[in-house]
Amino acid sequence: MLDSGQEETDLATAAPPRGEEEIQWGFIGWLKGQLEGLQAYSLLTGRTFRNVLARPFYGGDTMLQMDSLGVGSLPIVLMTGFFTGAVMALQLSATLAQYGQIQRTGQLVALSIVRELGPVLTGLMVAARNAAGMASELGSMVVTEQVDAMRALGTDPIKKLATPRLLATISMTFSLTIIADLCGLIGGYLYAILALRLDGRQYWYTAMQALGATDMAQGLLKPVVFGIIIATVACYFGMSARGGTRGVGRATTQAVVSASVLIILTDFLLSRVLIGFFGA
Amino acid sequence: MADAPIEIEFDNVSITLGATPVLRGLSLRVRRGETKVLLGESGAGKSVALKLAIGLLRPDQGRVIVLGEPVSTMPEAALYRLRRRIGIVFQESALFDSLTVRDNVAYRLDEEHAMDLEAIDARVRACLAAVELEEVMDKFPAELSGGMQRRVAIARALATEPEIMLFDSPTGGLDPITATNIMEQIIRLRDVNHVTSLLVTHRLQDAAMLAAYRWDAEHNALRPADGMSAHTSFLVLHDQHAVFDGSAAELHASTQPYVQHFLQI
Repeated sequence: MLDSGQEETDLATAAPPRGEEEIQWGFIGWLKGQLEGLQAYSLLTGRTFRNVLARPFYGGDTMLQMDSLGVGSLPIVLMTGFFTGAVMALQLSATLAQYGQIQRTGQLVALSIVRELGPVLTGLMVAARNAAGMASELGSMVVTEQVDAMRALGTDPIKKLATPRLLATISMTFSLTIIADLCGLIGGYLYAILALRLDGRQYWYTAMQALGATDMAQGLLKPVVFGIIIATVACYFGMSARGGTRGVGRATTQAVVSASVLIILTDFLLSRVLIGFFGA
Repeated sequence: MADAPIEIEFDNVSITLGATPVLRGLSLRVRRGETKVLLGESGAGKSVALKLAIGLLRPDQGRVIVLGEPVSTMPEAALYRLRRRIGIVFQESALFDSLTVRDNVAYRLDEEHAMDLEAIDARVRACLAAVELEEVMDKFPAELSGGMQRRVAIARALATEPEIMLFDSPTGGLDPITATNIMEQIIRLRDVNHVTSLLVTHRLQDAAMLAAYRWDAEHNALRPADGMSAHTSFLVLHDQHAVFDGSAAELHASTQPYVQHFLQI
Protein backbone atom coordinates (compact mmCIF):
# COMPACT_ATOMS: atom_id res chain seq x y z
CA MET A 1 0.00 0.00 0.00
CA LEU A 2 1.33 3.44 -0.88
CA ASP A 3 1.55 6.22 1.64
CA SER A 4 0.00 9.52 0.64
CA GLY A 5 3.34 11.10 -0.38
CA GLN A 6 4.27 8.17 -2.66
CA GLU A 7 0.81 8.23 -4.26
CA GLU A 8 1.09 11.98 -4.89
CA THR A 9 4.50 11.56 -6.59
CA ASP A 10 3.21 8.80 -8.88
CA LEU A 11 0.18 10.76 -9.93
CA ALA A 12 2.18 13.95 -10.53
CA THR A 13 5.07 12.49 -12.52
CA ALA A 14 4.64 8.99 -13.88
CA ALA A 15 1.04 8.53 -14.84
CA PRO A 16 -0.68 10.74 -17.40
CA PRO A 17 -3.71 12.67 -16.17
CA ARG A 18 -6.57 10.22 -15.72
CA GLY A 19 -8.96 11.97 -18.09
CA GLU A 20 -6.40 12.13 -20.90
CA GLU A 21 -5.55 8.44 -20.47
CA GLU A 22 -9.19 7.50 -20.60
CA ILE A 23 -9.72 9.56 -23.74
CA GLN A 24 -6.64 7.99 -25.35
CA TRP A 25 -7.65 4.41 -24.48
CA GLY A 26 -11.24 5.20 -25.29
CA PHE A 27 -10.27 6.21 -28.83
CA ILE A 28 -8.00 3.19 -29.30
CA GLY A 29 -10.73 0.92 -27.98
CA TRP A 30 -13.25 2.51 -30.35
CA LEU A 31 -10.87 2.13 -33.30
CA LYS A 32 -10.17 -1.49 -32.36
CA GLY A 33 -13.90 -2.14 -32.14
CA GLN A 34 -14.50 -0.60 -35.57
CA LEU A 35 -11.70 -2.66 -37.15
CA GLU A 36 -13.00 -5.84 -35.53
CA GLY A 37 -16.46 -4.99 -36.81
CA LEU A 38 -15.11 -4.47 -40.32
CA GLN A 39 -13.27 -7.79 -40.12
CA ALA A 40 -16.42 -9.60 -38.92
CA TYR A 41 -18.48 -7.95 -41.68
CA SER A 42 -15.93 -8.98 -44.32
CA LEU A 43 -15.84 -12.57 -43.08
CA LEU A 44 -19.63 -12.79 -43.01
CA THR A 45 -19.88 -11.34 -46.53
CA GLY A 46 -17.21 -13.74 -47.81
CA ARG A 47 -18.93 -16.77 -46.28
CA THR A 48 -22.33 -15.62 -47.56
CA PHE A 49 -21.01 -15.44 -51.13
CA ARG A 50 -19.06 -18.69 -50.82
CA ASN A 51 -22.25 -20.50 -49.80
CA VAL A 52 -24.05 -19.43 -52.97
CA LEU A 53 -22.51 -22.38 -54.82
CA ALA A 54 -22.31 -24.80 -51.87
CA ARG A 55 -24.82 -27.55 -51.12
CA PRO A 56 -27.44 -27.72 -49.70
CA PHE A 57 -29.30 -25.05 -51.65
CA TYR A 58 -32.12 -23.38 -49.79
CA GLY A 59 -34.28 -22.62 -52.82
CA GLY A 60 -37.49 -22.55 -50.79
CA ASP A 61 -36.05 -20.05 -48.31
CA THR A 62 -34.77 -17.90 -51.18
CA MET A 63 -38.18 -17.88 -52.86
CA LEU A 64 -39.84 -16.99 -49.54
CA GLN A 65 -37.47 -14.06 -49.09
CA MET A 66 -37.99 -12.96 -52.70
CA ASP A 67 -41.74 -12.94 -52.14
CA SER A 68 -41.47 -11.05 -48.85
CA LEU A 69 -38.93 -8.57 -50.21
CA GLY A 70 -40.09 -8.17 -53.80
CA VAL A 71 -43.87 -8.35 -53.59
CA GLY A 72 -43.88 -6.63 -50.21
CA SER A 73 -41.82 -3.70 -51.47
CA LEU A 74 -43.69 -3.34 -54.75
CA PRO A 75 -46.31 -0.75 -53.64
CA ILE A 76 -43.78 1.67 -52.13
CA VAL A 77 -41.43 1.28 -55.09
CA LEU A 78 -44.27 1.85 -57.57
CA MET A 79 -45.36 5.02 -55.78
CA THR A 80 -41.82 6.31 -55.26
CA GLY A 81 -40.89 5.72 -58.91
CA PHE A 82 -44.09 7.22 -60.29
CA PHE A 83 -44.05 10.43 -58.25
CA THR A 84 -40.29 10.89 -58.69
CA GLY A 85 -40.79 10.78 -62.46
CA ALA A 86 -43.68 13.23 -62.22
CA VAL A 87 -41.79 15.66 -60.00
CA MET A 88 -38.72 15.46 -62.24
CA ALA A 89 -40.88 16.39 -65.23
CA LEU A 90 -42.37 19.27 -63.24
CA GLN A 91 -39.02 20.66 -62.08
CA LEU A 92 -37.04 20.09 -65.27
CA SER A 93 -39.75 21.41 -67.58
CA ALA A 94 -39.71 24.75 -65.75
CA THR A 95 -35.96 25.09 -66.32
CA LEU A 96 -36.09 23.80 -69.89
CA ALA A 97 -38.91 26.23 -70.73
CA GLN A 98 -36.54 29.13 -69.99
CA TYR A 99 -34.31 27.93 -72.84
CA GLY A 100 -37.18 26.98 -75.14
CA GLN A 101 -36.29 23.29 -74.83
CA ILE A 102 -39.37 21.98 -73.06
CA GLN A 103 -39.70 19.19 -75.65
CA ARG A 104 -36.55 17.66 -74.16
CA THR A 105 -38.36 16.91 -70.87
CA GLY A 106 -38.56 13.18 -71.66
CA GLN A 107 -34.84 13.04 -72.33
CA LEU A 108 -33.85 14.54 -68.99
CA VAL A 109 -36.46 12.61 -67.02
CA ALA A 110 -35.23 9.35 -68.56
CA LEU A 111 -31.56 10.08 -67.89
CA SER A 112 -32.04 11.18 -64.29
CA ILE A 113 -34.40 8.31 -63.48
CA VAL A 114 -32.48 5.48 -65.13
CA ARG A 115 -28.99 6.60 -64.14
CA GLU A 116 -29.57 7.88 -60.62
CA LEU A 117 -32.94 8.25 -59.03
CA GLY A 118 -34.42 4.87 -59.92
CA PRO A 119 -31.57 2.79 -58.46
CA VAL A 120 -30.86 5.07 -55.48
CA LEU A 121 -34.45 5.60 -54.38
CA THR A 122 -35.30 1.93 -54.87
CA GLY A 123 -32.19 1.01 -52.88
CA LEU A 124 -33.15 3.38 -50.08
CA MET A 125 -36.76 2.13 -50.02
CA VAL A 126 -35.66 -1.52 -49.97
CA ALA A 127 -33.10 -0.68 -47.27
CA ALA A 128 -35.64 1.12 -45.11
CA ARG A 129 -38.20 -1.65 -45.37
CA ASN A 130 -36.15 -4.81 -45.63
CA ALA A 131 -32.84 -4.10 -43.89
CA ALA A 132 -34.91 -3.31 -40.81
CA GLY A 133 -36.97 -6.48 -41.21
CA MET A 134 -33.94 -8.70 -41.81
CA ALA A 135 -31.87 -7.25 -38.95
CA SER A 136 -34.72 -7.49 -36.45
CA GLU A 137 -35.66 -11.03 -37.50
CA LEU A 138 -32.08 -12.31 -37.34
CA GLY A 139 -31.37 -10.31 -34.17
CA SER A 140 -34.38 -11.88 -32.45
CA MET A 141 -33.18 -15.31 -33.51
CA VAL A 142 -29.74 -14.60 -32.07
CA VAL A 143 -30.91 -13.30 -28.69
CA THR A 144 -33.38 -16.19 -28.24
CA GLU A 145 -30.59 -18.69 -29.06
CA GLN A 146 -32.39 -19.90 -32.21
CA VAL A 147 -29.20 -19.35 -34.23
CA ASP A 148 -27.23 -21.42 -31.70
CA ALA A 149 -29.96 -24.07 -31.88
CA MET A 150 -29.62 -24.08 -35.66
CA ARG A 151 -25.86 -24.65 -35.37
CA ALA A 152 -26.44 -27.33 -32.74
CA LEU A 153 -28.84 -29.06 -35.14
CA GLY A 154 -26.14 -29.17 -37.78
CA THR A 155 -27.19 -26.26 -40.00
CA ASP A 156 -24.85 -23.45 -41.01
CA PRO A 157 -26.87 -20.32 -40.14
CA ILE A 158 -25.04 -18.25 -42.73
CA LYS A 159 -25.99 -20.71 -45.45
CA LYS A 160 -29.58 -21.03 -44.21
CA LEU A 161 -30.28 -17.42 -43.25
CA ALA A 162 -27.82 -15.03 -44.93
CA THR A 163 -27.28 -16.56 -48.38
CA PRO A 164 -30.99 -16.78 -49.32
CA ARG A 165 -31.43 -13.17 -48.18
CA LEU A 166 -28.46 -12.06 -50.26
CA LEU A 167 -29.74 -13.77 -53.42
CA ALA A 168 -33.29 -12.51 -52.85
CA THR A 169 -32.18 -8.94 -52.17
CA ILE A 170 -29.90 -8.74 -55.21
CA SER A 171 -32.50 -10.15 -57.61
CA MET A 172 -35.40 -8.18 -56.16
CA THR A 173 -33.55 -4.85 -55.92
CA PHE A 174 -32.56 -5.33 -59.57
CA SER A 175 -36.13 -6.14 -60.64
CA LEU A 176 -37.71 -3.43 -58.49
CA THR A 177 -35.31 -0.85 -59.94
CA ILE A 178 -36.45 -1.70 -63.48
CA ILE A 179 -40.08 -1.38 -62.34
CA ALA A 180 -39.31 1.91 -60.56
CA ASP A 181 -37.59 3.23 -63.71
CA LEU A 182 -40.62 2.33 -65.80
CA CYS A 183 -43.00 3.92 -63.30
CA GLY A 184 -40.83 7.04 -63.21
CA LEU A 185 -40.97 7.35 -66.98
CA ILE A 186 -44.75 6.85 -66.91
CA GLY A 187 -45.08 9.47 -64.14
CA GLY A 188 -43.05 11.92 -66.20
CA TYR A 189 -45.05 11.05 -69.31
CA LEU A 190 -48.41 11.64 -67.61
CA TYR A 191 -47.26 14.99 -66.23
CA ALA A 192 -45.85 15.94 -69.64
CA ILE A 193 -49.06 15.21 -71.57
CA LEU A 194 -51.58 16.30 -68.95
CA ALA A 195 -49.94 19.36 -67.39
CA LEU A 196 -47.39 20.49 -69.98
CA ARG A 197 -49.55 19.54 -73.00
CA LEU A 198 -46.53 17.95 -74.70
CA ASP A 199 -46.83 15.36 -77.42
CA GLY A 200 -46.67 11.89 -75.87
CA ARG A 201 -44.85 10.31 -78.81
CA GLN A 202 -42.23 13.02 -78.68
CA TYR A 203 -41.76 12.40 -74.93
CA TRP A 204 -41.06 8.71 -75.49
CA TYR A 205 -38.97 9.35 -78.58
CA THR A 206 -36.63 11.81 -76.79
CA ALA A 207 -36.51 9.56 -73.72
CA MET A 208 -35.49 6.48 -75.71
CA GLN A 209 -33.06 8.44 -77.88
CA ALA A 210 -31.33 9.79 -74.77
CA LEU A 211 -30.76 6.43 -73.14
CA GLY A 212 -27.59 4.72 -74.30
CA ALA A 213 -25.97 1.44 -73.33
CA THR A 214 -23.78 3.16 -70.74
CA ASP A 215 -26.81 4.67 -69.02
CA MET A 216 -28.50 1.28 -68.92
CA ALA A 217 -25.29 -0.32 -67.61
CA GLN A 218 -25.06 2.28 -64.83
CA GLY A 219 -28.71 1.91 -63.97
CA LEU A 220 -28.58 -1.87 -63.82
CA LEU A 221 -25.22 -2.33 -62.12
CA LYS A 222 -26.06 -0.06 -59.20
CA PRO A 223 -29.04 -2.07 -57.88
CA VAL A 224 -26.90 -5.22 -57.83
CA VAL A 225 -24.31 -3.47 -55.66
CA PHE A 226 -27.03 -1.88 -53.50
CA GLY A 227 -28.66 -5.31 -53.04
CA ILE A 228 -25.35 -6.71 -51.80
CA ILE A 229 -24.97 -3.79 -49.38
CA ILE A 230 -28.52 -4.08 -48.02
CA ALA A 231 -28.40 -7.84 -47.44
CA THR A 232 -24.89 -8.09 -46.01
CA VAL A 233 -25.24 -5.04 -43.74
CA ALA A 234 -28.63 -6.23 -42.43
CA CYS A 235 -27.35 -9.79 -41.85
CA TYR A 236 -24.20 -8.51 -40.16
CA PHE A 237 -26.03 -6.25 -37.70
CA GLY A 238 -28.77 -8.85 -37.15
CA MET A 239 -26.35 -11.67 -36.46
CA SER A 240 -24.19 -9.55 -34.16
CA ALA A 241 -27.15 -8.33 -32.07
CA ARG A 242 -26.54 -8.63 -28.32
CA GLY A 243 -28.42 -7.56 -25.25
CA GLY A 244 -32.05 -8.66 -25.60
CA THR A 245 -34.80 -6.63 -27.22
CA ARG A 246 -32.90 -3.37 -26.78
CA GLY A 247 -29.98 -4.90 -28.66
CA VAL A 248 -32.30 -6.00 -31.46
CA GLY A 249 -33.71 -2.46 -31.72
CA ARG A 250 -30.20 -1.01 -31.85
CA ALA A 251 -29.14 -3.54 -34.51
CA THR A 252 -32.21 -2.66 -36.61
CA THR A 253 -31.49 1.07 -36.47
CA GLN A 254 -27.80 0.55 -37.25
CA ALA A 255 -28.66 -1.69 -40.20
CA VAL A 256 -31.00 0.86 -41.80
CA VAL A 257 -28.71 3.84 -41.18
CA SER A 258 -25.55 2.06 -42.34
CA ALA A 259 -27.18 0.56 -45.44
CA SER A 260 -28.68 3.94 -46.43
CA VAL A 261 -25.43 5.86 -45.95
CA LEU A 262 -23.44 3.18 -47.78
CA ILE A 263 -25.90 3.24 -50.70
CA ILE A 264 -25.48 6.99 -51.14
CA LEU A 265 -21.71 6.82 -50.73
CA THR A 266 -21.40 3.86 -53.11
CA ASP A 267 -23.66 5.59 -55.63
CA PHE A 268 -21.24 8.49 -55.81
CA LEU A 269 -18.17 6.25 -56.10
CA LEU A 270 -19.81 3.97 -58.68
CA SER A 271 -21.01 6.95 -60.74
CA ARG A 272 -17.50 8.39 -60.69
CA VAL A 273 -15.91 5.09 -61.74
CA LEU A 274 -18.51 4.31 -64.41
CA ILE A 275 -18.37 7.79 -65.91
CA GLY A 276 -14.58 7.52 -65.94
CA PHE A 277 -14.88 4.13 -67.64
CA PHE A 278 -17.71 4.71 -70.10
CA GLY A 279 -17.63 8.50 -70.32
CA ALA A 280 -20.46 10.87 -69.40
CA MET B 1 -19.54 -47.97 -15.15
CA ALA B 2 -15.83 -47.37 -14.54
CA ASP B 3 -14.99 -49.59 -17.55
CA ALA B 4 -17.30 -47.77 -19.96
CA PRO B 5 -15.55 -45.64 -22.59
CA ILE B 6 -15.25 -41.90 -21.99
CA GLU B 7 -17.65 -40.00 -24.28
CA ILE B 8 -17.12 -36.42 -23.06
CA GLU B 9 -13.77 -35.17 -21.86
CA PHE B 10 -12.64 -31.69 -20.85
CA ASP B 11 -8.91 -31.43 -20.31
CA ASN B 12 -7.76 -28.29 -18.49
CA VAL B 13 -10.25 -26.09 -20.36
CA SER B 14 -10.21 -22.30 -19.93
CA ILE B 15 -12.31 -19.70 -21.68
CA THR B 16 -12.71 -15.94 -21.41
CA LEU B 17 -15.74 -14.18 -22.90
CA GLY B 18 -15.12 -10.51 -23.60
CA ALA B 19 -12.86 -9.49 -20.73
CA THR B 20 -14.41 -11.90 -18.24
CA PRO B 21 -12.78 -15.25 -17.45
CA VAL B 22 -15.60 -17.80 -17.32
CA LEU B 23 -13.85 -21.15 -16.84
CA ARG B 24 -10.30 -21.84 -15.69
CA GLY B 25 -8.64 -25.22 -15.94
CA LEU B 26 -11.86 -27.26 -16.03
CA SER B 27 -11.34 -31.00 -16.41
CA LEU B 28 -14.15 -33.54 -16.44
CA ARG B 29 -14.98 -36.95 -17.87
CA VAL B 30 -18.36 -38.47 -18.64
CA ARG B 31 -18.53 -42.17 -19.44
CA ARG B 32 -21.02 -43.90 -21.74
CA GLY B 33 -24.45 -44.12 -20.12
CA GLU B 34 -23.50 -41.74 -17.31
CA THR B 35 -25.33 -38.53 -16.39
CA LYS B 36 -23.00 -35.82 -15.11
CA VAL B 37 -24.76 -33.00 -13.28
CA LEU B 38 -23.03 -29.61 -13.34
CA LEU B 39 -24.04 -27.67 -10.24
CA GLY B 40 -23.26 -24.09 -9.34
CA GLU B 41 -24.69 -20.63 -8.94
CA SER B 42 -25.96 -18.57 -11.87
CA GLY B 43 -22.97 -17.21 -13.79
CA ALA B 44 -20.64 -20.02 -12.70
CA GLY B 45 -20.00 -21.01 -16.33
CA LYS B 46 -22.24 -24.09 -16.48
CA SER B 47 -24.00 -23.14 -19.73
CA VAL B 48 -20.66 -22.16 -21.27
CA ALA B 49 -19.38 -25.67 -20.46
CA LEU B 50 -22.32 -27.15 -22.40
CA LYS B 51 -21.68 -24.89 -25.39
CA LEU B 52 -18.02 -25.95 -25.30
CA ALA B 53 -19.09 -29.60 -25.35
CA ILE B 54 -21.06 -29.15 -28.58
CA GLY B 55 -18.56 -26.78 -30.18
CA LEU B 56 -20.71 -23.64 -30.13
CA LEU B 57 -17.81 -22.03 -28.25
CA ARG B 58 -14.13 -22.85 -28.47
CA PRO B 59 -11.80 -22.83 -25.47
CA ASP B 60 -8.87 -20.43 -25.23
CA GLN B 61 -6.86 -23.23 -23.66
CA GLY B 62 -7.24 -26.97 -23.16
CA ARG B 63 -9.02 -29.70 -25.13
CA VAL B 64 -12.61 -30.85 -25.45
CA ILE B 65 -13.06 -34.37 -26.81
CA VAL B 66 -16.56 -35.69 -27.52
CA LEU B 67 -17.22 -39.18 -28.91
CA GLY B 68 -13.51 -39.38 -29.66
CA GLU B 69 -13.53 -36.22 -31.79
CA PRO B 70 -11.46 -33.13 -30.89
CA VAL B 71 -14.36 -30.67 -30.72
CA SER B 72 -12.15 -27.76 -29.69
CA THR B 73 -10.07 -27.90 -32.88
CA MET B 74 -12.46 -29.35 -35.48
CA PRO B 75 -13.51 -27.21 -38.44
CA GLU B 76 -17.13 -26.04 -38.29
CA ALA B 77 -18.16 -28.25 -41.24
CA ALA B 78 -16.96 -31.38 -39.42
CA LEU B 79 -18.71 -30.22 -36.26
CA TYR B 80 -22.05 -30.13 -38.11
CA ARG B 81 -21.68 -33.87 -38.79
CA LEU B 82 -20.67 -34.65 -35.20
CA ARG B 83 -23.61 -32.67 -33.82
CA ARG B 84 -25.98 -35.18 -35.42
CA ARG B 85 -24.91 -37.53 -32.63
CA ILE B 86 -25.51 -34.93 -29.90
CA GLY B 87 -28.80 -33.46 -28.72
CA ILE B 88 -29.04 -30.22 -26.77
CA VAL B 89 -31.90 -28.63 -24.84
CA PHE B 90 -31.33 -24.91 -24.38
CA GLN B 91 -32.22 -22.98 -21.24
CA GLU B 92 -35.04 -21.07 -22.96
CA SER B 93 -35.90 -23.95 -25.33
CA ALA B 94 -34.76 -21.97 -28.42
CA LEU B 95 -37.54 -23.38 -30.58
CA PHE B 96 -37.84 -21.85 -34.06
CA ASP B 97 -40.78 -19.52 -33.54
CA SER B 98 -41.79 -19.40 -37.21
CA LEU B 99 -42.07 -23.21 -37.46
CA THR B 100 -44.76 -25.50 -36.07
CA VAL B 101 -43.97 -28.04 -33.37
CA ARG B 102 -43.87 -30.76 -36.05
CA ASP B 103 -41.38 -28.79 -38.14
CA ASN B 104 -39.27 -27.95 -35.08
CA VAL B 105 -38.98 -31.60 -34.07
CA ALA B 106 -38.43 -32.73 -37.66
CA TYR B 107 -35.97 -29.91 -38.41
CA ARG B 108 -32.81 -31.99 -38.58
CA LEU B 109 -34.53 -34.87 -40.39
CA ASP B 110 -36.03 -32.49 -42.97
CA GLU B 111 -32.61 -30.88 -43.51
CA GLU B 112 -30.89 -34.22 -44.12
CA HIS B 113 -33.40 -35.51 -46.73
CA ALA B 114 -32.37 -39.01 -45.64
CA MET B 115 -35.86 -40.21 -44.71
CA ASP B 116 -39.17 -40.04 -46.56
CA LEU B 117 -41.94 -37.82 -45.26
CA GLU B 118 -43.95 -40.66 -43.68
CA ALA B 119 -40.93 -41.96 -41.78
CA ILE B 120 -40.15 -38.44 -40.56
CA ASP B 121 -43.73 -37.95 -39.38
CA ALA B 122 -43.64 -41.29 -37.57
CA ARG B 123 -40.37 -40.32 -35.84
CA VAL B 124 -41.79 -36.92 -34.86
CA ARG B 125 -44.89 -38.59 -33.38
CA ALA B 126 -42.73 -41.03 -31.43
CA CYS B 127 -40.54 -38.23 -30.04
CA LEU B 128 -43.55 -36.14 -29.07
CA ALA B 129 -45.21 -39.20 -27.51
CA ALA B 130 -42.09 -39.70 -25.39
CA VAL B 131 -42.68 -36.27 -23.86
CA GLU B 132 -46.49 -36.73 -23.87
CA LEU B 133 -47.17 -33.94 -26.34
CA GLU B 134 -48.53 -35.62 -29.47
CA GLU B 135 -51.56 -33.35 -29.58
CA VAL B 136 -49.61 -30.13 -30.20
CA MET B 137 -47.98 -31.13 -33.52
CA ASP B 138 -49.57 -28.37 -35.56
CA LYS B 139 -49.23 -25.57 -33.03
CA PHE B 140 -46.58 -22.86 -33.02
CA PRO B 141 -44.20 -22.51 -30.03
CA ALA B 142 -45.84 -19.23 -28.97
CA GLU B 143 -49.12 -21.13 -28.41
CA LEU B 144 -47.48 -23.45 -25.84
CA SER B 145 -46.70 -22.96 -22.16
CA GLY B 146 -43.07 -22.73 -20.99
CA GLY B 147 -43.11 -26.33 -19.77
CA MET B 148 -44.56 -27.61 -23.04
CA GLN B 149 -41.93 -25.67 -24.99
CA ARG B 150 -39.20 -27.30 -22.90
CA ARG B 151 -40.67 -30.75 -23.61
CA VAL B 152 -40.86 -29.99 -27.34
CA ALA B 153 -37.19 -28.95 -27.14
CA ILE B 154 -36.40 -32.36 -25.59
CA ALA B 155 -38.37 -34.07 -28.39
CA ARG B 156 -36.44 -32.06 -30.99
CA ALA B 157 -33.13 -33.08 -29.41
CA LEU B 158 -34.23 -36.75 -29.40
CA ALA B 159 -35.32 -36.80 -33.05
CA THR B 160 -31.95 -37.96 -34.39
CA GLU B 161 -31.59 -40.54 -31.58
CA PRO B 162 -28.42 -38.92 -30.23
CA GLU B 163 -25.76 -40.77 -28.27
CA ILE B 164 -25.23 -37.75 -26.01
CA MET B 165 -27.76 -35.31 -24.54
CA LEU B 166 -26.88 -31.90 -23.14
CA PHE B 167 -29.48 -30.24 -20.90
CA ASP B 168 -29.16 -26.58 -19.96
CA SER B 169 -31.32 -25.92 -16.89
CA PRO B 170 -34.18 -28.04 -18.26
CA THR B 171 -36.46 -27.24 -15.30
CA GLY B 172 -35.49 -23.59 -14.79
CA GLY B 173 -38.51 -21.33 -14.29
CA LEU B 174 -41.05 -24.16 -14.39
CA ASP B 175 -43.69 -25.14 -11.82
CA PRO B 176 -42.83 -28.17 -9.62
CA ILE B 177 -45.18 -30.58 -11.42
CA THR B 178 -43.83 -29.77 -14.89
CA ALA B 179 -40.25 -29.80 -13.54
CA THR B 180 -40.79 -33.27 -12.05
CA ASN B 181 -42.28 -34.46 -15.33
CA ILE B 182 -39.23 -33.26 -17.25
CA MET B 183 -36.83 -34.85 -14.75
CA GLU B 184 -38.75 -38.12 -15.22
CA GLN B 185 -38.08 -37.95 -18.97
CA ILE B 186 -34.37 -37.38 -18.29
CA ILE B 187 -34.19 -40.32 -15.85
CA ARG B 188 -35.99 -42.50 -18.41
CA LEU B 189 -33.43 -41.51 -21.07
CA ARG B 190 -30.64 -42.43 -18.68
CA ASP B 191 -32.04 -45.75 -17.49
CA VAL B 192 -33.92 -47.00 -20.55
CA ASN B 193 -32.04 -45.53 -23.50
CA HIS B 194 -28.67 -45.37 -21.65
CA VAL B 195 -27.97 -41.97 -23.18
CA THR B 196 -24.85 -40.18 -21.93
CA SER B 197 -25.88 -36.80 -20.53
CA LEU B 198 -24.40 -33.59 -19.24
CA LEU B 199 -27.03 -31.70 -17.26
CA VAL B 200 -26.66 -28.16 -16.00
CA THR B 201 -28.76 -26.98 -13.10
CA HIS B 202 -28.64 -24.79 -10.03
CA ARG B 203 -31.60 -26.68 -8.48
CA LEU B 204 -30.46 -29.20 -5.89
CA GLN B 205 -33.84 -30.95 -5.98
CA ASP B 206 -33.19 -31.95 -9.63
CA ALA B 207 -29.78 -33.33 -8.70
CA ALA B 208 -31.26 -35.20 -5.74
CA MET B 209 -34.00 -36.69 -7.92
CA LEU B 210 -31.47 -37.92 -10.50
CA ALA B 211 -29.43 -39.56 -7.76
CA ALA B 212 -32.29 -41.06 -5.78
CA TYR B 213 -34.63 -42.41 -8.46
CA ARG B 214 -34.52 -44.90 -11.31
CA TRP B 215 -36.90 -45.66 -14.16
CA ASP B 216 -38.72 -48.97 -13.89
CA ALA B 217 -39.08 -49.96 -17.55
CA GLU B 218 -41.25 -52.98 -16.69
CA HIS B 219 -43.94 -50.87 -15.05
CA ASN B 220 -43.08 -47.70 -16.95
CA ALA B 221 -42.84 -45.71 -13.73
CA LEU B 222 -40.36 -43.87 -11.54
CA ARG B 223 -39.10 -45.83 -8.51
CA PRO B 224 -36.70 -44.98 -5.68
CA ALA B 225 -33.23 -46.27 -6.52
CA ASP B 226 -31.62 -48.85 -4.26
CA GLY B 227 -29.13 -46.49 -2.67
CA MET B 228 -27.72 -43.78 -4.97
CA SER B 229 -27.72 -44.15 -8.74
CA ALA B 230 -24.32 -45.31 -9.96
CA HIS B 231 -25.08 -43.72 -13.33
CA THR B 232 -25.12 -40.18 -11.97
CA SER B 233 -22.19 -38.09 -10.85
CA PHE B 234 -21.80 -34.44 -9.88
CA LEU B 235 -19.44 -31.60 -10.59
CA VAL B 236 -19.69 -28.33 -8.67
CA LEU B 237 -18.44 -25.13 -10.33
CA HIS B 238 -17.40 -22.13 -8.31
CA ASP B 239 -15.20 -19.15 -9.05
CA GLN B 240 -14.57 -20.34 -12.64
CA HIS B 241 -13.29 -23.80 -11.73
CA ALA B 242 -14.47 -27.18 -10.45
CA VAL B 243 -14.42 -27.47 -6.66
CA PHE B 244 -15.95 -30.97 -6.57
CA ASP B 245 -16.24 -33.95 -8.92
CA GLY B 246 -17.64 -37.22 -7.67
CA SER B 247 -20.64 -39.39 -6.81
CA ALA B 248 -23.76 -38.40 -4.86
CA ALA B 249 -22.45 -40.06 -1.71
CA GLU B 250 -19.12 -38.20 -2.04
CA LEU B 251 -21.02 -34.95 -2.61
CA HIS B 252 -22.92 -35.36 0.65
CA ALA B 253 -19.75 -36.26 2.50
CA SER B 254 -17.67 -33.45 0.98
CA THR B 255 -15.96 -31.08 3.39
CA GLN B 256 -15.16 -28.54 0.70
CA PRO B 257 -16.47 -25.24 2.15
CA TYR B 258 -18.27 -24.05 -1.00
CA VAL B 259 -19.92 -27.46 -1.54
CA GLN B 260 -21.14 -27.46 2.06
CA HIS B 261 -22.41 -23.91 1.64
CA PHE B 262 -24.12 -24.81 -1.67
CA LEU B 263 -25.81 -27.88 -0.18
CA GLN B 264 -27.11 -25.89 2.77
CA ILE B 265 -28.73 -23.13 0.67
